[in-house]
Amino acid sequence: MQTSILSFGKRTLRALTRQKAVIAIIAMLILMLFFKTNFYTSYNLLNVLKDAAVNEIIAFGVTLTVIAAGCDLSVGGVMCLSGITAIQMMNGGMSMWLAITLSILIGALIGFINGFFVVQQRTEAFIITLGMGMLLKGVCQQLTDAHPVSCTNMEFMKIANGKIGGVIPNLAVIMIVFGVLVYALLRYTSFGRNLYAIGGDYEVAKYSGINVVTTKWIAFVLSGAMTAIAGVLLSSKLNTGSSIYGDDTALMVNCGVVVGGTSFAGGVGGIPESFIGLMVLQLLTNCMNMLGIAPYLQQVAQGVVIVGIIWLDCFGRKRKREDV
Amino acid sequence: MEKKDRGIILSIKDVNKSFPGVKALDNVSIEIERGIVHGIVGENGAGKSTLMKILSGVYTKDSGTVVFDGEEIEHTTPIESLNRGLSIIYQEFNLVNTMSVGENIFLGRFSEMHGMRGTHAEARKLLDSIGCSIDTHTLVGELSAAEKQMVEITKALSFRSKLIIMDEPSSSLTSDELKQLFSIIGDLRAQGVSIIYISHKLDEIFELCDMVTVMRDGHVIDTRPVGELTRADMITKMVGRSIEHEYPERPHCVGETLMEVRSINTHKLHDISFELKKGEILGFVGLVGAGRTEIVRAICGADKVKGHEVLIGGVPVHIKKPAHAKKLGIGLLPEDRKLQGLVLRFSVQSNIAMASLDKMRKFGFIDASQERGIAERQIANLGIKTPSPQTTVLSLSGGNQQKCVVGRWLEINPQILIMDEPTRGIDVGAKYEIYVLMKQIVENGGSIIMISSELPEVLNMSNRVLTICEGRITGEFNPEEVSAQTIMDSAIG
Amino acid sequence: MTKRFDLKKFLLNYLVLVAIVLLVIITIIVEPKFLSGDNLTNIMRQFGPLSFVSLGMTFVIIGGFIDLSVGGLISLVAVVTVSLIDPLGQLNALIVGVLFGAFLGFLNSMVLISCGALTQAEALFITYGMSAVYSAVALIYTGGSTQHMSWLTTPQTIFTAIGSGTVGIFSVSFIIFLVCLLLLWIFHNKTYSGRSISYTGGNKVAAELSGIPIKRSVILIYTICGLMSAVGSIVLFSRITTAAPIIGKNYETNAILSVVVGGTTLKGGKGSVLRTVLGVLLITLMSNCMNLLGVSAYMQVVLKGAILVLAIWLDNRKEQ
Repeated sequence: MQTSILSFGKRTLRALTRQKAVIAIIAMLILMLFFKTNFYTSYNLLNVLKDAAVNEIIAFGVTLTVIAAGCDLSVGGVMCLSGITAIQMMNGGMSMWLAITLSILIGALIGFINGFFVVQQRTEAFIITLGMGMLLKGVCQQLTDAHPVSCTNMEFMKIANGKIGGVIPNLAVIMIVFGVLVYALLRYTSFGRNLYAIGGDYEVAKYSGINVVTTKWIAFVLSGAMTAIAGVLLSSKLNTGSSIYGDDTALMVNCGVVVGGTSFAGGVGGIPESFIGLMVLQLLTNCMNMLGIAPYLQQVAQGVVIVGIIWLDCFGRKRKREDV
Repeated sequence: MEKKDRGIILSIKDVNKSFPGVKALDNVSIEIERGIVHGIVGENGAGKSTLMKILSGVYTKDSGTVVFDGEEIEHTTPIESLNRGLSIIYQEFNLVNTMSVGENIFLGRFSEMHGMRGTHAEARKLLDSIGCSIDTHTLVGELSAAEKQMVEITKALSFRSKLIIMDEPSSSLTSDELKQLFSIIGDLRAQGVSIIYISHKLDEIFELCDMVTVMRDGHVIDTRPVGELTRADMITKMVGRSIEHEYPERPHCVGETLMEVRSINTHKLHDISFELKKGEILGFVGLVGAGRTEIVRAICGADKVKGHEVLIGGVPVHIKKPAHAKKLGIGLLPEDRKLQGLVLRFSVQSNIAMASLDKMRKFGFIDASQERGIAERQIANLGIKTPSPQTTVLSLSGGNQQKCVVGRWLEINPQILIMDEPTRGIDVGAKYEIYVLMKQIVENGGSIIMISSELPEVLNMSNRVLTICEGRITGEFNPEEVSAQTIMDSAIG
Repeated sequence: MTKRFDLKKFLLNYLVLVAIVLLVIITIIVEPKFLSGDNLTNIMRQFGPLSFVSLGMTFVIIGGFIDLSVGGLISLVAVVTVSLIDPLGQLNALIVGVLFGAFLGFLNSMVLISCGALTQAEALFITYGMSAVYSAVALIYTGGSTQHMSWLTTPQTIFTAIGSGTVGIFSVSFIIFLVCLLLLWIFHNKTYSGRSISYTGGNKVAAELSGIPIKRSVILIYTICGLMSAVGSIVLFSRITTAAPIIGKNYETNAILSVVVGGTTLKGGKGSVLRTVLGVLLITLMSNCMNLLGVSAYMQVVLKGAILVLAIWLDNRKEQ
């Protein structure tokens, strides 16, 4: 019993330190100790969680598809669409929770369609979800005539902007709850374990009696649904639905997931990895804001960080390959 | 061995299976007794793997009856087959490299095993029962071939299999590991489990099996106790003609020293130095993982290795990448022709002309008309069976695919051709043709380094043999003067 | 040996052509104005920036990679080139602009090669990051503002010609496009380097062992893409006579769309610039026809997305 705890601890440590993302975060945390800013205040740190929440929730859903050796680049479009439909339905008189539920179902439906192409038709995930995202963007523009829509229901704003006990942001809590749920799904259920198998080796999983088609398909449905939830939360946060949200989201979230260690090849990774990976990018933005760095420079920094981490990752693999 | 009435575990009767254009199985009937090891031999295309895939549920038979453990099986799926007690261990292993040993054993049965803890506990018990000490948390991707095989056997045991089919189980094992495998098979047999052992290594069939079935062109030629057959008998039945010689006459064209290699040192290789003579076939003998492929990859610049010397004709050369090697007239036929040798989606013509691009080059432009000529020349020269030069190379048989790669290199008249497993996955008839080609190459002044895991092949074709063990050259022999046993001993170390 | 004409296979392989024919026929029936000289000139004019970028993207995809940096690259080249017109004169600025784009493409390839990136996925993220860098540099360079060519003191006759000039019924940009197309086609099919690119995309390992220069191929595909994107950028700002640091937005997705719709497979190795032309033609015709038929701008985006999805789906089925 003791040895298994020890070996679990050793394995976790080894897995974590292999993650360049963790190192990047630690580096940033250490760096910020040297500057006199409001970084290390509970207000700011809670803000970081709050700002990250929407994208992290998307990341949790996307993680499911990436583990199954797919990916989901339609998230920008789904996110926009769910926010817009929720608000428009509410503005049309529908009750808030019903509108939200329907929007989430729409997200799930899109996930279902993505799943059809990727799983049933065995189309390349990254490009087909990219196309789907483009399509949804157009739908969003059509629905809103390219004007942002505000919600007439005052209750809507409170969902994302509220605080539990006046201190802890709802968004942070919601993010953590979803994180834990998906983590448990991946680790403790057959569905989750089968997803790893499917991503690791599709044929082997199939021959082991796993229903590969249904399982992978569901991953896409869940990704769509979770993205829709995130989209609703974003619209709630800003009290606006707009078709310009999410232009960068797809690549940033998928990037973040990979940066954290959930590889496109499938079969590896999970919630902690994806969370940390995306957090690198979010934390970076926060640090730069704290340091007063101009927005344009921030963009450069983000690009450099993404390139840098992936570069290091590739380079590490190249070294291993050539280490004869 | 006394013939007891052990009862029949598997009865296959008049099974037929056709694919478009080819009849894979023609009225195949075999009976497998309980508690024995039953070998199946046959060339590539004989129908062995089709039959196995029908048994395991991957394919569906067209007609005939299959009765397993008293139950008639009509259609089945892989998992149903497993649950019935029929397991199959494929050559390429049916494992997920990114998951742990424990989870692989119980893949798809996570909830039955009550989650992670139950999975690993039960896996531990099963592994211990065959004397295997691998940690169940280890990722399968980090295991050796022999260890993966243990995992596969454990998987079969977890289904309480009554019949385990092993397809070419020894292809990646050292002889120690093979001994361990035989011992486990012996234990299983004693427990009443039947094993179907598919292998082209006839020595193993003779050592291990009680009964053997010979298949050819989709038919069962014969099924009889192993003791009643000789090796020559078996080959005759497999091939349908008496092959007096499996190999052409050994060429003797050895001349002066052509290439010297000095001091290759890497993680795996230690102080590798040797010579290659003009017109010579030099064989590398060693176990899988001994470092043979690494040596040739270092020479050709396919791996980035520094600190060694290569001299050709006494002149030092610097080979940093395969293109340099090619300029010097050194060509490498890689181990895995599908992944490393061919562009499967391209035509036969494109694959053959692939190394000749600079030959066709004029001021940066390619004279495409030459390409067709090159392809047709090699197709005729090597007897490549293809409907046309434009046919996608994927649709060719293994032997013809290999000929495309050989043709590619022959086109540039290499002075040294390195052939890594030149006849892997190729049937006996096509193998012979490759041997003849090799002979022609050296008779025309070229030299060959031949790496092969099939000892008879290396011993019969080479003029000189180097044994490589754990990254070191352990011996140099003339196969005509020294026994196979001596050479093998040196390779095992 | 007679080969039976496989209609299904032909259709699948040349679906884009079928789609174009159908689209044209339907539009002519509903709106005969399609065939007017004005409209046809208009169509040719539509063979604008995107077509150049798509030609460049074709090479990257045939080589087995992908380039998401073109958006940022276009923006950066635009602002830099326009800013150089006054100091250097228009011809020099033009040349510098094109070379600069090629350089940025070369830079992309250097980043990829230095870390040993072998797969499309790795290239995806790295070029995405490079796009962010290029866009940001463009923003920094202009301080966020847009440069209007009307503010320039140097006359921009060359650029005006590129942007809106015509030779007979053909627009200048169309002629430039045809020239580029010809050169690239010859390069791909008739040169050693072009052939090497195909083999690199087919199977890198096998190609390397056969002596094919992999690194050189990677450098070439990205440099060509950068160069063509620069040409596209110049055509773009010549047309709209302004260079804003965000004008390159979304070009990468549209370029990939054109290439895939045209029938070049994302798997690499096989494909052709001619197919990409068909892809661009279809996309262009779609806009034109839908405008004539009175379809709203947003619906057009929806339909474009739908076509992309359809094209990718069918591309996959073809390969199976």
